[in-house]
Amino acid sequence: MTVEAGDRQQCSDECREALLRLGAFLDGELGTLTSSQLEEHLAECEPCTDRRAFEEGFRALVRQGCADEAPPALRARILAQLDELAAS
Amino acid sequence: MSETPSADGAGAAPGSPVRRELADADRRARFESEVLPHLDRLYSAALRYTRDATDAEDLVQETVAKAYRSFHQYREGTNLKAWLYRILHTTYISMYRKAQRRPQESLQDEIDDFSFYDELSRTTGASPEHEVLNSFTADEVKEALAQLPDTFREAVYLADVEGFSYKEIAQIMDTPVGTVMSRLHRGRKSLQQALHSYARVRGLIDGPREG
Repeated sequence: MTVEAGDRQQCSDECREALLRLGAFLDGELGTLTSSQLEEHLAECEPCTDRRAFEEGFRALVRQGCADEAPPALRARILAQLDELAAS
Repeated sequence: MSETPSADGAGAAPGSPVRRELADADRRARFESEVLPHLDRLYSAALRYTRDATDAEDLVQETVAKAYRSFHQYREGTNLKAWLYRILHTTYISMYRKAQRRPQESLQDEIDDFSFYDELSRTTGASPEHEVLNSFTADEVKEALAQLPDTFREAVYLADVEGFSYKEIAQIMDTPVGTVMSRLHRGRKSLQQALHSYARVRGLIDGPREG
Protein backbone atom coordinates (compact mmCIF):
# COMPACT_ATOMS: atom_id res chain seq x y z
CA MET A 1 0.00 0.00 0.00
CA THR A 2 1.54 3.29 -1.05
CA VAL A 3 0.71 6.75 0.17
CA GLU A 4 0.85 9.66 -2.28
CA ALA A 5 3.05 12.58 -1.27
CA GLY A 6 0.01 14.85 -1.23
CA ASP A 7 -1.90 12.53 1.10
CA ARG A 8 1.05 12.29 3.42
CA GLN A 9 1.22 16.08 3.65
CA GLN A 10 -2.47 16.33 4.44
CA CYS A 11 -2.12 13.57 6.96
CA SER A 12 0.71 15.30 8.74
CA ASP A 13 -1.30 18.54 9.12
CA GLU A 14 -4.21 16.58 10.49
CA CYS A 15 -1.83 14.60 12.65
CA ARG A 16 -0.41 17.75 14.18
CA GLU A 17 -3.92 18.88 15.01
CA ALA A 18 -4.77 15.44 16.42
CA LEU A 19 -1.63 15.36 18.56
CA LEU A 20 -2.45 18.72 20.09
CA ARG A 21 -5.81 17.39 21.20
CA LEU A 22 -4.85 13.86 22.11
CA GLY A 23 -4.08 14.63 25.74
CA ALA A 24 -7.42 16.31 26.43
CA PHE A 25 -9.16 13.58 24.44
CA LEU A 26 -7.65 10.82 26.59
CA ASP A 27 -8.51 12.82 29.71
CA GLY A 28 -12.14 12.90 28.58
CA GLU A 29 -12.03 16.68 28.35
CA LEU A 30 -12.85 17.25 24.67
CA GLY A 31 -16.34 18.22 23.57
CA THR A 32 -18.38 15.58 21.71
CA LEU A 33 -17.93 17.28 18.33
CA THR A 34 -14.15 17.62 18.60
CA SER A 35 -13.93 14.12 20.02
CA SER A 36 -15.74 12.57 17.07
CA GLN A 37 -13.57 14.54 14.63
CA LEU A 38 -10.49 13.20 16.36
CA GLU A 39 -11.87 9.67 16.39
CA GLU A 40 -12.54 9.94 12.66
CA HIS A 41 -8.93 10.86 12.12
CA LEU A 42 -7.69 8.07 14.38
CA ALA A 43 -9.78 5.55 12.49
CA GLU A 44 -7.89 6.25 9.29
CA CYS A 45 -4.43 7.12 10.58
CA GLU A 46 -2.21 4.32 11.79
CA PRO A 47 0.65 6.42 13.23
CA CYS A 48 -1.81 8.46 15.32
CA THR A 49 -3.60 5.31 16.48
CA ASP A 50 -0.25 3.93 17.54
CA ARG A 51 0.52 7.15 19.37
CA ARG A 52 -2.84 7.04 21.09
CA ALA A 53 -2.18 3.48 22.29
CA PHE A 54 1.20 4.56 23.62
CA GLU A 55 -0.17 7.52 25.58
CA GLU A 56 -2.98 5.34 26.93
CA GLY A 57 -0.42 2.74 27.92
CA PHE A 58 1.59 5.41 29.68
CA ARG A 59 -1.40 6.55 31.74
CA ALA A 60 -2.17 2.94 32.61
CA LEU A 61 1.44 2.41 33.66
CA VAL A 62 1.27 5.31 36.11
CA ARG A 63 -2.07 4.10 37.47
CA GLN A 64 -0.91 0.52 37.98
CA GLY A 65 2.34 1.67 39.54
CA CYS A 66 0.52 3.48 42.33
CA ALA A 67 -1.73 0.89 43.93
CA ASP A 68 -0.68 0.58 47.57
CA GLU A 69 -2.70 -0.83 50.44
CA ALA A 70 -3.06 0.96 53.73
CA PRO A 71 -1.12 -0.95 56.41
CA PRO A 72 -3.42 -2.87 58.81
CA ALA A 73 -1.91 -0.95 61.74
CA LEU A 74 -2.99 2.36 60.16
CA ARG A 75 -6.50 1.05 59.64
CA ALA A 76 -6.64 -0.04 63.28
CA ARG A 77 -5.33 3.34 64.48
CA ILE A 78 -7.93 5.14 62.42
CA LEU A 79 -10.77 3.03 63.78
CA ALA A 80 -9.58 3.71 67.34
CA GLN A 81 -9.36 7.38 66.51
CA LEU A 82 -12.94 7.35 65.22
CA ASP A 83 -14.05 5.77 68.51
CA GLU A 84 -12.42 8.62 70.38
CA LEU A 85 -13.83 11.31 68.11
CA ALA A 86 -17.31 9.82 68.25
CA ALA A 87 -17.18 9.66 72.05
CA SER A 88 -15.97 13.22 72.55
CA MET B 1 -41.88 10.51 69.25
CA SER B 2 -41.48 12.39 66.02
CA GLU B 3 -38.41 11.63 63.88
CA THR B 4 -38.07 15.15 62.55
CA PRO B 5 -38.06 18.09 64.92
CA SER B 6 -40.98 20.40 64.14
CA ALA B 7 -40.87 24.16 64.16
CA ASP B 8 -43.24 24.50 67.14
CA GLY B 9 -40.81 22.66 69.39
CA ALA B 10 -42.76 19.38 69.67
CA GLY B 11 -40.70 16.18 69.74
CA ALA B 12 -36.99 16.00 70.53
CA ALA B 13 -35.13 19.21 69.86
CA PRO B 14 -32.10 18.89 67.55
CA GLY B 15 -29.69 19.58 70.37
CA SER B 16 -31.18 17.27 72.96
CA PRO B 17 -28.80 14.64 74.38
CA VAL B 18 -30.81 11.67 73.13
CA ARG B 19 -30.93 13.01 69.61
CA ARG B 20 -27.25 13.87 69.65
CA GLU B 21 -26.27 10.42 70.73
CA LEU B 22 -28.33 8.90 67.95
CA ALA B 23 -26.89 11.36 65.46
CA ASP B 24 -23.34 10.58 66.59
CA ALA B 25 -23.83 6.83 66.26
CA ASP B 26 -25.40 7.33 62.86
CA ARG B 27 -22.66 9.64 61.73
CA ARG B 28 -19.96 7.24 62.82
CA ALA B 29 -21.63 4.34 60.97
CA ARG B 30 -22.19 6.40 57.85
CA PHE B 31 -18.62 7.71 57.90
CA GLU B 32 -17.22 4.22 58.29
CA SER B 33 -19.22 2.77 55.44
CA GLU B 34 -18.70 5.69 53.05
CA VAL B 35 -15.22 7.00 53.80
CA LEU B 36 -13.19 4.01 54.96
CA PRO B 37 -13.48 2.19 51.60
CA HIS B 38 -11.31 5.04 50.27
CA LEU B 39 -8.54 4.37 52.78
CA ASP B 40 -6.22 2.42 50.47
CA ARG B 41 -6.55 5.06 47.76
CA LEU B 42 -5.92 7.90 50.21
CA TYR B 43 -2.88 6.09 51.56
CA SER B 44 -1.50 5.54 48.04
CA ALA B 45 -1.94 9.23 47.31
CA ALA B 46 -0.37 10.24 50.61
CA LEU B 47 2.62 8.00 49.88
CA ARG B 48 3.16 9.73 46.56
CA TYR B 49 2.68 13.19 48.06
CA THR B 50 5.00 12.74 51.04
CA ARG B 51 7.33 10.06 49.59
CA ASP B 52 7.66 8.59 53.04
CA ALA B 53 5.67 5.75 54.64
CA THR B 54 5.53 7.23 58.15
CA ASP B 55 4.59 10.70 56.89
CA ALA B 56 1.95 9.12 54.65
CA GLU B 57 0.34 7.35 57.62
CA ASP B 58 0.31 10.55 59.66
CA LEU B 59 -1.15 12.47 56.74
CA VAL B 60 -3.93 9.94 56.19
CA GLN B 61 -4.76 9.78 59.88
CA GLU B 62 -5.02 13.56 60.15
CA THR B 63 -7.03 13.72 56.92
CA VAL B 64 -9.54 11.16 58.17
CA ALA B 65 -9.86 12.99 61.51
CA LYS B 66 -10.54 16.28 59.73
CA ALA B 67 -13.01 14.61 57.40
CA TYR B 68 -14.86 13.14 60.39
CA ARG B 69 -15.07 16.46 62.18
CA SER B 70 -16.46 18.19 59.08
CA PHE B 71 -18.52 15.28 57.81
CA HIS B 72 -21.68 17.26 58.56
CA GLN B 73 -20.55 19.74 55.90
CA TYR B 74 -20.38 17.07 53.26
CA ARG B 75 -23.59 17.07 51.25
CA GLU B 76 -24.80 13.57 50.49
CA GLY B 77 -25.00 12.79 46.80
CA THR B 78 -22.14 15.13 45.91
CA ASN B 79 -18.65 13.96 45.04
CA LEU B 80 -17.34 12.34 48.23
CA LYS B 81 -14.04 11.32 46.66
CA ALA B 82 -13.25 14.86 45.49
CA TRP B 83 -14.25 16.17 48.94
CA LEU B 84 -11.80 13.75 50.60
CA TYR B 85 -8.95 14.62 48.23
CA ARG B 86 -9.57 18.31 48.89
CA ILE B 87 -9.08 17.64 52.61
CA LEU B 88 -6.02 15.50 51.88
CA HIS B 89 -4.58 18.38 49.85
CA THR B 90 -5.11 21.10 52.47
CA THR B 91 -3.87 18.78 55.24
CA TYR B 92 -0.76 17.95 53.24
CA ILE B 93 -0.01 21.62 52.70
CA SER B 94 -0.50 22.54 56.34
CA MET B 95 1.52 19.57 57.63
CA TYR B 96 4.39 19.43 55.17
CA ARG B 97 4.66 22.02 52.48
CA LYS B 98 4.56 24.93 54.87
CA ALA B 99 7.54 23.54 56.75
CA GLN B 100 9.57 23.12 53.60
CA ARG B 101 9.20 26.71 52.40
CA ARG B 102 10.19 25.84 48.90
CA PRO B 103 10.66 28.42 46.19
CA GLN B 104 8.09 28.54 43.37
CA GLU B 105 8.23 25.21 41.63
CA SER B 106 8.79 24.91 37.94
CA LEU B 107 10.07 22.59 35.27
CA GLN B 108 12.57 23.56 32.63
CA ASP B 109 11.10 24.98 29.45
CA GLU B 110 12.87 22.37 27.34
CA ILE B 111 10.50 19.78 28.78
CA ASP B 112 7.81 20.93 26.33
CA ASP B 113 9.85 19.56 23.44
CA PHE B 114 10.30 16.10 24.90
CA SER B 115 8.26 13.22 23.57
CA PHE B 116 8.96 9.72 24.84
CA TYR B 117 7.12 8.28 21.88
CA ASP B 118 9.19 10.20 19.35
CA GLU B 119 12.39 9.29 21.17
CA LEU B 120 11.46 5.63 21.01
CA SER B 121 10.51 5.77 17.34
CA ARG B 122 13.78 7.50 16.60
CA THR B 123 16.07 5.20 18.51
CA THR B 124 14.54 1.76 18.29
CA GLY B 125 12.75 1.55 14.97
CA ALA B 126 9.89 -0.86 14.41
CA SER B 127 7.16 -0.64 17.11
CA PRO B 128 8.63 -2.01 20.36
CA GLU B 129 7.18 1.09 22.11
CA HIS B 130 4.69 -0.97 24.08
CA GLU B 131 7.30 -3.47 25.11
CA VAL B 132 9.33 -0.66 26.60
CA LEU B 133 6.28 0.64 28.48
CA ASN B 134 5.46 -2.84 29.78
CA SER B 135 8.99 -3.33 31.04
CA PHE B 136 8.78 -0.63 33.71
CA THR B 137 8.29 -1.76 37.30
CA ALA B 138 5.99 -0.08 39.81
CA ASP B 139 9.07 1.05 41.73
CA GLU B 140 10.43 2.84 38.67
CA VAL B 141 7.11 4.59 38.15
CA LYS B 142 7.10 5.70 41.79
CA GLU B 143 10.71 6.83 41.60
CA ALA B 144 9.97 8.88 38.47
CA LEU B 145 6.91 10.44 40.11
CA ALA B 146 8.94 11.27 43.21
CA GLN B 147 11.30 13.36 41.10
CA LEU B 148 8.51 15.69 39.97
CA PRO B 149 7.99 18.98 41.79
CA ASP B 150 5.12 18.68 44.32
CA THR B 151 2.39 20.49 42.43
CA PHE B 152 3.13 18.69 39.17
CA ARG B 153 3.25 15.33 40.92
CA GLU B 154 -0.09 15.93 42.59
CA ALA B 155 -1.80 17.05 39.37
CA VAL B 156 -0.53 14.03 37.43
CA TYR B 157 -1.51 11.72 40.27
CA LEU B 158 -5.04 13.10 40.52
CA ALA B 159 -5.56 12.81 36.77
CA ASP B 160 -3.81 9.59 35.85
CA VAL B 161 -4.29 7.51 38.97
CA GLU B 162 -7.58 8.83 40.34
CA GLY B 163 -9.16 9.91 37.07
CA PHE B 164 -10.36 13.29 38.31
CA SER B 165 -11.45 15.84 35.70
CA TYR B 166 -9.51 19.09 35.16
CA LYS B 167 -12.27 20.96 36.97
CA GLU B 168 -12.18 18.63 39.95
CA ILE B 169 -8.39 18.88 40.16
CA ALA B 170 -8.69 22.67 40.01
CA GLN B 171 -11.07 22.55 42.97
CA ILE B 172 -8.98 20.06 44.92
CA MET B 173 -5.76 22.05 44.44
CA ASP B 174 -7.51 25.44 44.56
CA THR B 175 -5.94 26.59 41.32
CA PRO B 176 -7.24 27.74 37.90
CA VAL B 177 -8.09 25.04 35.33
CA GLY B 178 -5.46 26.47 32.98
CA THR B 179 -2.78 25.90 35.59
CA VAL B 180 -3.96 22.32 36.05
CA MET B 181 -3.71 21.71 32.31
CA SER B 182 -0.21 23.09 32.10
CA ARG B 183 0.95 21.15 35.18
CA LEU B 184 -0.47 17.96 33.68
CA HIS B 185 1.11 18.55 30.32
CA ARG B 186 4.56 19.35 31.67
CA GLY B 187 4.37 16.90 34.55
CA ARG B 188 3.60 14.01 32.22
CA LYS B 189 6.39 15.04 29.87
CA SER B 190 8.84 15.20 32.73
CA LEU B 191 7.68 11.81 33.97
CA GLN B 192 8.20 10.36 30.51
CA GLN B 193 11.64 11.86 30.39
CA ALA B 194 12.59 10.26 33.69
CA LEU B 195 11.30 6.85 32.59
CA HIS B 196 13.05 7.27 29.28
CA SER B 197 16.34 7.76 31.08
CA TYR B 198 15.75 4.62 33.19
CA ALA B 199 15.10 2.65 30.02
CA ARG B 200 18.34 3.96 28.57
CA VAL B 201 20.34 3.07 31.66
CA ARG B 202 18.92 -0.44 31.51
CA GLY B 203 20.00 -0.64 27.91
CA LEU B 204 16.44 -1.10 26.66
CA ILE B 205 16.87 1.72 24.21
CA ASP B 206 19.85 3.36 22.60
CA GLY B 207 21.26 6.63 23.79
CA PRO B 208 21.21 9.73 21.62
CA ARG B 209 23.21 9.27 18.45
CA GLU B 210 26.67 10.78 18.34
CA GLY B 211 27.58 13.37 15.77
